[in-house]
Amino acid sequence: MLPGFHLTLGFTLFYLGLIVLIPLSAVFWKTTTLSWTDFWHTITQPMALASYRLTFGTSFLAALVNAFFGLIVTWVLVRYDFFGKKIVDALVDLPFALPTAVAGITLASLYGQNGWIGRLLVPFGIHVANSQFGIFIALTFIGLPFIVRTVQPILEDLDPELEEAAASLGANRWQVFWRVILPMLTPALLTGFALAFARALGEYGSVIFIAGNIPMKTQITPVLIMGELDMFDYARATALAVVMLVVSFVLLLVINLLQWWTNRYNTTNLA
Amino acid sequence: MSVEVKNVIKKFGRFMALDNVSLKVESGELVALLGPSGSGKTTLLRTIAGLEFPDNPGAAQVLFYGEDVTSIPASERKAGFAFQHYALFRHLSVFENIAFGLRVRPKATRPPETAIRSRVDKLLQLIQLEPLATRFPSQLSGGQRQRVALARALAVEPKVLLLDEPFGALDAKVRKELRRWLRQLHDEIHITTLFVTHDQEEALEVADRVAILRAGRIEQIGTPDEIYDRPASPFVYDFLGNVNLFSGRVKDGSVVIGETEFALSEKTGELDIDAVAFVRPHDIRITRATGDQKTFPARVLRSNAAGPLANLELERLDGGGSFTVQLSKEEFLLLQPKAGEQVFVALKNVRVFSEDYSI
Repeated sequence: MLPGFHLTLGFTLFYLGLIVLIPLSAVFWKTTTLSWTDFWHTITQPMALASYRLTFGTSFLAALVNAFFGLIVTWVLVRYDFFGKKIVDALVDLPFALPTAVAGITLASLYGQNGWIGRLLVPFGIHVANSQFGIFIALTFIGLPFIVRTVQPILEDLDPELEEAAASLGANRWQVFWRVILPMLTPALLTGFALAFARALGEYGSVIFIAGNIPMKTQITPVLIMGELDMFDYARATALAVVMLVVSFVLLLVINLLQWWTNRYNTTNLA
Repeated sequence: MSVEVKNVIKKFGRFMALDNVSLKVESGELVALLGPSGSGKTTLLRTIAGLEFPDNPGAAQVLFYGEDVTSIPASERKAGFAFQHYALFRHLSVFENIAFGLRVRPKATRPPETAIRSRVDKLLQLIQLEPLATRFPSQLSGGQRQRVALARALAVEPKVLLLDEPFGALDAKVRKELRRWLRQLHDEIHITTLFVTHDQEEALEVADRVAILRAGRIEQIGTPDEIYDRPASPFVYDFLGNVNLFSGRVKDGSVVIGETEFALSEKTGELDIDAVAFVRPHDIRITRATGDQKTFPARVLRSNAAGPLANLELERLDGGGSFTVQLSKEEFLLLQPKAGEQVFVALKNVRVFSEDYSI
């Protein structure tokens, strides 16, 4: 073990304090300027409750769908060689790099009633723009790289002998994937899921352009918070933010515990 | 009844891994595939397992007890395979690793849960790891992991057991224990077994027969005694132990080294050619006086007497180069050779190989 534990731990705490804890505690502190009844009223008003359901619901769904399709993308990128593979690989990172407003505007114009894709969907009664489905599309778009980039290195390092061993024991391809490969990828998949989920919860820029922000229907919590800020009601804005923070923290903690549990076989200290 | 490979050719790019290899392993036999790295021994093992397929499917054949399995994939071949680095499923406990092959069977042939349990328990007993059934592979030592890998392969009652450098990743002491254990295990369950190794000592100690591979071909196959005492080629001779080379001339059933004539074990006929004589370090004797033995003079360069055997390096006085000699500790203490001292050297079990014949 390298020396320097105290120094690096001290730095870690200082850094986390400065960058994460102080701003977050300011949110809590600002909230305390509200009375309990005002606070409770703010966070339980029907518009707020609807926005939580929408935000957490679509974020969860988007992360789930990304986990599934992201795994397929990762599989293709790792296991096959094809022309243009490097370009596809680079494309995956694009949602990371693109300003979210640009993404939002692009999605809105594509999926709008007269957009290239929107135009084709309208006859089937599918309206993407100004709908919850549109929010889901935007959140899926920004979440994809998290799954691919967390699962990719694990899949690359997966020993091909494991699959050969499973095959020589009589497992068919489906069983090899289901019983050997997927369990090995699950911890990474959960990490990617947590990252995509967290990212979607806080997403604002890409959603506002496509969601239409109709109260009770397509208004996500961050938009609601922005609305309060526009009215210079900072305390009410932070009260909503506190709810987001606490629920996000609990959900991420649960995912982390789940991830730890699926990865428990990697402990070597049990003698 | 046997596991048989016929005329297998396998190339990787331009590299010839298997060059028309045929091999027959009798039922219940334990055969070692011995060779340097790149000799094709692992490829041959993988071809038998169905993890590689011959490049010449028309001519090549893999037969399990008469049944042609050449084009049958690994998952349907019923060949137990143990990998050098074990390839255990690290997300499954020891118990579940061993049970894997039974659990993936189609419903119709899958044994009931109680039968799986009793079979795995029996195998755990066989590998002496019953108390560790609930551990994960990462909590086991290398030797324990290899035994789990073996039990996992045995659980499906394979027609043949294939082991790829089973002890290659273990330290010397565990290696020796485990190979003795493997021999005992084989004597108990008599499953047809092939194992790959690059360690000649391991092959000679454990196997019923040893196949020596070189550059994708089987150079020689025989019992350990046969290949050690009657190697078919200089390569086999060299590969099975240390060897000294003496250039000389073969003439009428003897070989002339320097000015001294040493008898060969077999007659050569009317030959009279230059040749290289092979002598094992322990087949060389050193004396201070010539006596009536046939000897040639040499000088002691250095000696090392650590361990049960003493190793000496000597140099021919006629400029024919240096060679090594192995003496027992007693011989060494009796003689007490000093560096720089001149001694007389006698050779026995001299063998000569050339392109056209071997003696």
